[in-house]
Amino acid sequence: MTHLLKTVRRALLSLTLAGIAAAALKLRGAGEVPPQGGGWRELSGQDFR
Amino acid sequence: MRVAVVGAGACGARAGRQLLSPEPPDDLVLVDPDRSRAEAVAASLGPPTRVAAEVPPLEAGDVLLVAAPGSHRSTAEQALDDGAHVVSLSDSVAEVQALLELDAPAVSRGVHVVAGAGFSPGLSCVLAALAGRGFERVQEVHVAKVGTGGPACARQHHRALGGRACDWRSGDWERRSSGSGRELCWFPDPVRAVDCYRAELPEALLLVPAFPGVDRVTARLAANRRDRLTARLPMLRRPHPEGELGAIRVEVRGVQGPALDDRVLGAVDRPAVAAGAVAALACRWAVEGRLSRPGASGLAALVEPGSFLATLAERGVKVAVFEGGQHGSTSVPGG
Repeated sequence: MTHLLKTVRRALLSLTLAGIAAAALKLRGAGEVPPQGGGWRELSGQDFR
Repeated sequence: MRVAVVGAGACGARAGRQLLSPEPPDDLVLVDPDRSRAEAVAASLGPPTRVAAEVPPLEAGDVLLVAAPGSHRSTAEQALDDGAHVVSLSDSVAEVQALLELDAPAVSRGVHVVAGAGFSPGLSCVLAALAGRGFERVQEVHVAKVGTGGPACARQHHRALGGRACDWRSGDWERRSSGSGRELCWFPDPVRAVDCYRAELPEALLLVPAFPGVDRVTARLAANRRDRLTARLPMLRRPHPEGELGAIRVEVRGVQGPALDDRVLGAVDRPAVAAGAVAALACRWAVEGRLSRPGASGLAALVEPGSFLATLAERGVKVAVFEGGQHGSTSVPGG
């Protein structure tokens, strides 16, 4: 029983530390919505004038 | 034309090769602390390339191209005393700032000091100038970059993520922690979407003078979690000899008639290859008197962007525009 409680405590501690590290790294930062249309076109001749 | 190239690394070697076409200079001198590397590059390039232990005395109309880490300013000052033009590939905020402070002596001697004439800054500045052309007033410029050139560039990339970002906001400089301000940026194919963060990049120093009255200028750098976690530590492993495919994306917002509009331009290339082409072309334009003013500036303030990019395209550096999607026009409230 003591071993089980110790394991649970260690697991909770590990999760807490991982959560703090993740927050510090802003792993869940806000990203933009990807473009829903359009695309890239290479510039040439007329575009440079 | 006589050119001295300081640094025979990934960018310096590429710049040297680009300088040989369409017609080679009268003399091309390579200077690098690693003499064997300089000799290998010189042998690869062929005549008129030669190696020297230090920068030779230059004359009026010669060009000094600095593509090595270290103090670009002290090297540039020596060239200015000789009456030579200076083209620097530095992407360090401190170095670019130091070069821009040479404006007065460069103006008095009637020569050019081109600061940040590489991939980013460099090509990014020319893209901003092209995107801003046609706006009555440019309000915002946002630059993002992926990739590095050679080892020196990789080290600078690492330092930039551990430093303080230098952005321009509402008429004042704003220093914020690098690695913050995550933004998902869409680069041309095949690079596509990459998370980019604030970093100590010199773009704003070069772009603010080129766009009078601009409200915001920001620059971001692509980074992964490991980059950000280890940015304030020494580099944990040796940088690669040369980076893979890189990309830049420049978004310019401005006022045109009664509407706000934005334009997004981008480029994909190996950073050292594109940097070499940009630097070599800047050297040629400096000698030919095609730069708009003497003094120390970035390329956005010095070149006619259309002609510059058209020549770069002939040399294989292609740029693209993002069309359609969410980059349409928005009416100015009350406009």
